Amino acid sequence: MKRQELLNRLIGEVSNFLLEENPLRLVISLHQEQDGAHLSFMDDRMRSDEELDRIRTALNPKHIRPELADYYGALAGHDTSWEARLKLIGWQIKGATVANNDSGTQIDLWLGGDSFRPEDFTVGQRCEGRS
Amino acid sequence: MADRLECRLYLLVIIALAATAAAGLIVDGPQKTFSDFILLQTSGARLINDFTVTGIGGAFLNAASVACIGLLLVRFSDVRLGGPTLAAVFTMWGFGFFGKSPVNILPIIAGVWIVSRMVGKSLGSYSLVALFGTALGPVVTYVMFEMPISPAIAIPLGVACGILVGMLLPAIASALLQFHQGYNLYNIGFACGFLGLFLSSLLEATGTSRPLGLVWNTTPHPLLQAVIPALSFLLIGAGFLVCKKSPKDIVEEVLQLQKLSGRLPTDMFDIANTASPLINMGALGLAAWLFVVLVGGPFNGPVLGAMLTVMGFGAFGKTLRNTWPIVAGVCLAAWLFGKQLSAPGPLLASLFSTTLAPIAGRFGIKAGMVAGALHLLLVETTAQWHGGLDLYNNGFAGGLTATLVIIVMHWFQNNRTKEDFEQ
Repeated sequence: MKRQELLNRLIGEVSNFLLEENPLRLVISLHQEQDGAHLSFMDDRMRSDEELDRIRTALNPKHIRPELADYYGALAGHDTSWEARLKLIGWQIKGATVANNDSGTQIDLWLGGDSFRPEDFTVGQRCEGRS
Repeated sequence: MADRLECRLYLLVIIALAATAAAGLIVDGPQKTFSDFILLQTSGARLINDFTVTGIGGAFLNAASVACIGLLLVRFSDVRLGGPTLAAVFTMWGFGFFGKSPVNILPIIAGVWIVSRMVGKSLGSYSLVALFGTALGPVVTYVMFEMPISPAIAIPLGVACGILVGMLLPAIASALLQFHQGYNLYNIGFACGFLGLFLSSLLEATGTSRPLGLVWNTTPHPLLQAVIPALSFLLIGAGFLVCKKSPKDIVEEVLQLQKLSGRLPTDMFDIANTASPLINMGALGLAAWLFVVLVGGPFNGPVLGAMLTVMGFGAFGKTLRNTWPIVAGVCLAAWLFGKQLSAPGPLLASLFSTTLAPIAGRFGIKAGMVAGALHLLLVETTAQWHGGLDLYNNGFAGGLTATLVIIVMHWFQNNRTKEDFEQ
């Protein structure tokens, strides 16, 4: 249930963010493993380097903030009426990669427990191999 | 491991707290200060109980002790001393002048710690709930010292009540955030008021409730008048000193901060360098102090508490730009309904109403003024609802006001036909 709630929050907030640009296509893909998960979002809107940097900064905060992640993290994915706040989910994930691909923007979120090690994550290897 | 920014913040807060305790000891002398301090630990703490009436020295030592506990909690729960935690420490410091004491806050912190262990989290994860949750400290002292039961039963029962309250708060605080979507900065005040409704009803049902009182110091004292300007100048001075940028660049950054909506959670130290949030805090302190002077309000424990809270949130959502419309709304409502701004309720409401600053920051001046006016009308009745047990009464009223404003705006936002699919 806890994992399900977290995934719901993350999917809600990122899709809210991507829907702000009114894309014609939005694909959300989830792959779960025992100690972690990979969420991938792809739309058909290309973004400028500054925009990508802004998204990257919001999703990869400088510091670990448990006091914000657990308490204010609950706000993520609930408010879809106004602008999305990617920072809310940056505190709750292990890391994120953001890039333009052939047809639009791709946002990858990596999340997992304390024992999570991205280098052991098979989807990560597959993604790197593919690009 | 604290970085350079954090070390500087710790140093700054420690200096300010040491100065507070020292000022208390100098004003009243060690003997009276310590005896008043002890007396405050066994006093009732429900709204509004101005500790400076018992003794200025004792109140200053109590406020410094309460803030020190907050600072130690931040240090040892491995969370950053940044915008939210600094706001919490300043708020605890302020409420150490009217309601919080080491005796009544420790059981609540223990309760939050116990529940955090129960769900397999660190205290750091719930550190903000533990810090702000001490708003229900009066529950502990009420059970311990104000209920007609023997101390042998009352004291352990008070501790148990505090622990239970602390255990319930994380769940309530997170859930209530959804109501106003982060537009009420004192969300835990909202949660404490909500829980306070049930506690007050329980007291009523058991025939142990007591009417609210008002202990309000109107005797001027130079120390009470000088604290906020001194602290504000310390913060502004520190802001300019710690930053290597030119004063012009720093001022520009402070102006950039004014553009933020302030919606929860906005850690100013994450957005700007160390200097500008400190200067923002100092500027808010001076503005609040000037406001009290202009309306002819007294400088006493609760007013100091309100001003310290405003300053603390200068690192966590409040700016001059997003607070003035709310205060203007309160002033307008006070004028319309014939209330004196220097009276305890309206004066505290005008300072604490800035909990609604994100509404003005996000939706503009008019929305801010409406929210401020509604807040004043509501806050004058809400203390009765929870029997004065929630020290953040304005956080409770602010939560209700923000919820009303946000759900109405949300409904209109989501029912615009232009953005719907064609039928």
